[in-house]
Amino acid sequence: MDLDNNRKLIAAALAAVGSGDPNALQTVYRLTATKLFAVCLRILGDRSEAEDVLQEVYMTVWSKAAVFDAALSSSMTWLIAITRNRAIDHLRARGQNRRMDPLEAAAELADDKPTADAALQGAQEQAKLQRCLDGLAGHERAALRGAFFDGNTYEELAERMKVPLGTMKSWIRRAMIKLKVCLEQ
Amino acid sequence: MTDVDDHEELSPNELLAAEYALGVLAGTERTAAAQRVARDRAFAALVAAWQERLAPWTAELQEVAPPPQVWERIAAQLSSAQRQRPTFWQSLVFWRGFGIVSAFAAACLAVLLYLSTASQQAALVASIEGDGQRIFVAVIDVKRAAITVVPAAYRPDPTRVPELWLVPPGGKPLPLGVLPSDRPSQIALPATFADQARRDAGLAVSLEPPGGSPTGQPTGPVIGSGKLTNM
Repeated sequence: MDLDNNRKLIAAALAAVGSGDPNALQTVYRLTATKLFAVCLRILGDRSEAEDVLQEVYMTVWSKAAVFDAALSSSMTWLIAITRNRAIDHLRARGQNRRMDPLEAAAELADDKPTADAALQGAQEQAKLQRCLDGLAGHERAALRGAFFDGNTYEELAERMKVPLGTMKSWIRRAMIKLKVCLEQ
Repeated sequence: MTDVDDHEELSPNELLAAEYALGVLAGTERTAAAQRVARDRAFAALVAAWQERLAPWTAELQEVAPPPQVWERIAAQLSSAQRQRPTFWQSLVFWRGFGIVSAFAAACLAVLLYLSTASQQAALVASIEGDGQRIFVAVIDVKRAAITVVPAAYRPDPTRVPELWLVPPGGKPLPLGVLPSDRPSQIALPATFADQARRDAGLAVSLEPPGGSPTGQPTGPVIGSGKLTNM
C-alpha cells in the first residue's frame, strides 16, 4: 500500500520534472535518494565517488525526464537503471573494478540480506524475483550478483570465478533464459 | 525452478538487451548498445523489460541517506542550468558570456541566419528593452511582410503572455501578435499596417491574458519598447 502510494508520487513528480519544474526534482530526490545512493555505494564502494554519481544521476533525470517513456518502464525502474548505468560508467572509466576478490558459487554477502523494511514492503515482484534467483544454480546466481551489484564485466566475472570467458558467457546467458522463463510463470 | 530446455534461446537482440541491462558489456560493445537504446525503440523496449525484471533486486540493499551537500550541489547546478535556456538562444548566451559579440549583435546575427532569405536593405530592426534589459530583438523583413522575434532577457510571466505592438510615431499601438517566450518566432505583418512599419516607428511588448489583448489595445503593463532602425 505504502509502496504503491510512493510509486504514484514518484511517477507524478517525474512527470512534473519533465515539464521543467525544478521543485518536482527535489520531490523526486526526497522520495528516491536514499535508495539510489545505496545503489551507487554498492556498485562503487567509495562514498565520495558515490556522491558525485548521485549528483550526476539527478542532473540526468532533470534533462531526460521529458523523454521518459512510461509505456516502457516504471519510474523507479527507470531511475535505478540510470543510476546503475552511471555508476557502471564510472567503474569502466576507472579501468579496474575494485571488486575482484574470488566469487564463490555459494557466497551470499551478509550485507545483502533483505532488510526489514524491504520485507515489510513485501513487493510481490521482489519476492518473485528472489524465488527465481533461488532456483538458479549457485554459480549462475553468483555470476549475476557480481554483475548486478559489483558492476563486473564478463571478463571480470570469468577472472573472479576462475573459468574461461566462454564458459562465463554461457553461464550468464543460461541464467538469463532461466530467469525470464521463471518470471513469466 | 523448472527445467529449461537446452534449445531455449534468447534472440540475438534480446540477449544483447539482457547483457546491457545486467551491465556485463564493456568498451565499444557497451557504448554501441547504449547508442542503440537511444535510437531503436524496439531495442529500448527489450532493455526496459530486462531492467524491470532485475530492478526489484535492489530491494535487498539497505537504503542510505546521502549527505545534505549532494542536494545542495544539485540545486546549484540546476539554477545555473536554468539561467541558460536550452534553446537556439543558448548559443547566443554563450557568445555573450565570452564577450565576443554583444548580445544585440548576436541576436541580429541569429535573426539573419533565421531569415536566410531576408534582403538586408528592406530590413528594420528593433531592440526591445525594459528595466535596463534587452528583452526581445525583432527584425522586420518589409518585402516579405514578416517579423522575426528572438527572446533575449525576457522572463516568462506565470499567468500572462507577451504581445508585440507596432507603435507609429504619435499613433495608437497596432497589435502584431502574441510571442512565444522561449524560442524565436515569425509573425506576419498585416498588410494594413505595412505602411506604418518604417524607421522611427516603435515596437513594444505588453503582458496580456493568454490569447492576447481582448480589446485590441494593450491592457497589461508595457514591459519593453524600442525604435525601428535600418539594419
